[in-house]
Amino acid sequence: MILSGRDMADPIRESADVCIIGSGCGGGPTAKILAEAGHRVVLLEEGGYYTTAEFEPSEEAAYQNLYQKRAGQATEDLAITILQGRCVGGSTTVNWTTSLRTPDFVLEAWRRDFGLRGFSSVELQPYFERIERYLNIHREPDQHHSPNNRLILDGAGKLGYSAKAVGRNTRGCVRAGVCGFGCPFDAKLSVDMTYIPDAVKAGATVLADCRARKIQPSGRMKRVTGTVTPSDGKTPEKRFAVEAPVVVVSASALHSPLILLESGLANSSDQVGRNLTLHLTTAVAGLYGRVIYAAGGIPQSATCDHFMNRNGDGGGFWIEAVPAYPALSAISLPGFGASHRKMMTQHAHLGALIVLVKEIDSSGRVIPDSRGRPRISYTLGERDLAYLKEGIGEASRVHFAAGAESVMTLHTVPTQFHSPGEIQRGLDHARWGMNEIVLYSAHPLGTCRMGEDPNQTVVDAHCQTHDVPGLFVIDGSVTPTSLGVNPQLTLLAIAEKSAEWLAENFRTIAS
Amino acid sequence: MQSHHEPSRRRFLKETALGTAFLLAARLIPLGSLRAQGPIPRDLRFLSDHEYLVMKALAERMVGLRDGEDSAQPAIDAALRADRFLAEEDQEIRTQFHQLLTLFSSTLFTFIFDFRFSSFLDMSPEEKDSYIEDWMTSSLAFRRKGFQALKRTCMSMYYTDPKSWKPIGYEGMFLPEDRR
Repeated sequence: MILSGRDMADPIRESADVCIIGSGCGGGPTAKILAEAGHRVVLLEEGGYYTTAEFEPSEEAAYQNLYQKRAGQATEDLAITILQGRCVGGSTTVNWTTSLRTPDFVLEAWRRDFGLRGFSSVELQPYFERIERYLNIHREPDQHHSPNNRLILDGAGKLGYSAKAVGRNTRGCVRAGVCGFGCPFDAKLSVDMTYIPDAVKAGATVLADCRARKIQPSGRMKRVTGTVTPSDGKTPEKRFAVEAPVVVVSASALHSPLILLESGLANSSDQVGRNLTLHLTTAVAGLYGRVIYAAGGIPQSATCDHFMNRNGDGGGFWIEAVPAYPALSAISLPGFGASHRKMMTQHAHLGALIVLVKEIDSSGRVIPDSRGRPRISYTLGERDLAYLKEGIGEASRVHFAAGAESVMTLHTVPTQFHSPGEIQRGLDHARWGMNEIVLYSAHPLGTCRMGEDPNQTVVDAHCQTHDVPGLFVIDGSVTPTSLGVNPQLTLLAIAEKSAEWLAENFRTIAS
Repeated sequence: MQSHHEPSRRRFLKETALGTAFLLAARLIPLGSLRAQGPIPRDLRFLSDHEYLVMKALAERMVGLRDGEDSAQPAIDAALRADRFLAEEDQEIRTQFHQLLTLFSSTLFTFIFDFRFSSFLDMSPEEKDSYIEDWMTSSLAFRRKGFQALKRTCMSMYYTDPKSWKPIGYEGMFLPEDRR
């Protein structure tokens, strides 16, 4: 059963074996596995529940209905916009379907630096394989790559850089280019289309529009309380309470730590909310003599993975494509006024690539503001900044190799190159301070990190908090380091692995 | 980022009595006849009449339609769309946006920051562009942050309107033949 806020009684009181907070990569698989194991599951989701027929293919409707803060979520200094889903299915409902296994060197660092056992690529392989089958994760045939994705395969190929097609969780994709607005064709196998219906089939109850604020332990039970804010914007706010012996917090790396902090739980290490990584992202646009139409076709189907961990320091960057929707383009392209308008009128001829930096020395933190919403701070480290600069340079070279006539970065003051020879000098002269280059993130991670040492980490290798038995965090919060790849498949695997362990040991944990 | 030690707008405005006093003083300066500056919708939900005119003028300069473009395509009132959008924001954001518009547009602050003697609304188009550029390239972090907030608001309000799509060649989503 899936209930929206407008359909609920006031107040709502539920009891269950497991209460899960959040319905994305962490909560969805956990709900399915526990419900199928015969446990009574209540799944709370802050955002609304939208069916395929309700997804509108426009930025305005999507940002309004499906994204945190209507796609305006940002660090406190406004320097980095952080895109996150806020709906049943979480960010999987609005992501661009890229599904990649966790790199081996990342898993090795988790074992070496955090004492994590059970997370080698061999041990995760059965989970990856099972999820890849379940979500039909596959690489697109060559003719399905959009012209924008072809820039990577062709441009990087000419330069001798490693580039490849990426896995996508779709079936029957019509390549309409609107993955970011919720797929209106039932083709994206996101959590709301797969794990959640299967969890409901097994008896789980999903309560949408329910924002959990606090968890209060009482004996062997835990009480989750919060508010119901119907997404129709008309029905008055209500209150809810769910009691369960086991609570799983899966509200994302920006929201799970806030629930723990507001509840005063699981923070003996003082690490809750710290160690935030963003997989920092900027774009590089190329102007072409031919039509690219970067807003259309499959948004992301290829990547250049040539520059990841090349120095053996765990850092580096990937280059991927980005769908250049009009408002997203207008906000991102440099400058304003006539020069900006000229770029916008060349929209169909712009190719758009993004550089995603796997951080190694940046530091981020999230704490609750006065209303319990995330207040996000982030300081970019020197080595990560060097990789960001290098990444912009390499993405520019890929553009030129693919035939671009000119290339521009997202520096606030327009920075444009007309040949590869101009790139380095341009980057050397560019300004790199806060709000001097447009930065994004769609992959916040790491704020309740996993590890063996309770003094340095928040949860153990099963995602159970070190401090509170029966309290779990299963989502992007638990990754000990930045991943360097789009996190969807990694987080699904962590969730399936942790939920299986929880199901097997439920009687002991719940008592 | 390197500039995280720069003074922030929060520090300037909220942690100094001087900043608060300046904001209050700026709001007391007479605005003259607003209606003379153009029509103002009667049902504004968030912006004051003056703020609406500032946003309208700002959006025009930000979007930068070229000569003839504005009459050749359906008009988009980005300021009115911003009014509707911001009315749904939470109280903290709304308060900050009001402060930002005061900082950006009043004669007191145009003088303090740029030694200009006219308010934003009274500047010529060229002066407006030069003034916006001063915010964009400022060495003060809070002004660059303010520029970003204003640019994002203007651009997103304009380019999420489907009427803006055709002139830039955006055709909406691709639909396969059997789905059209």
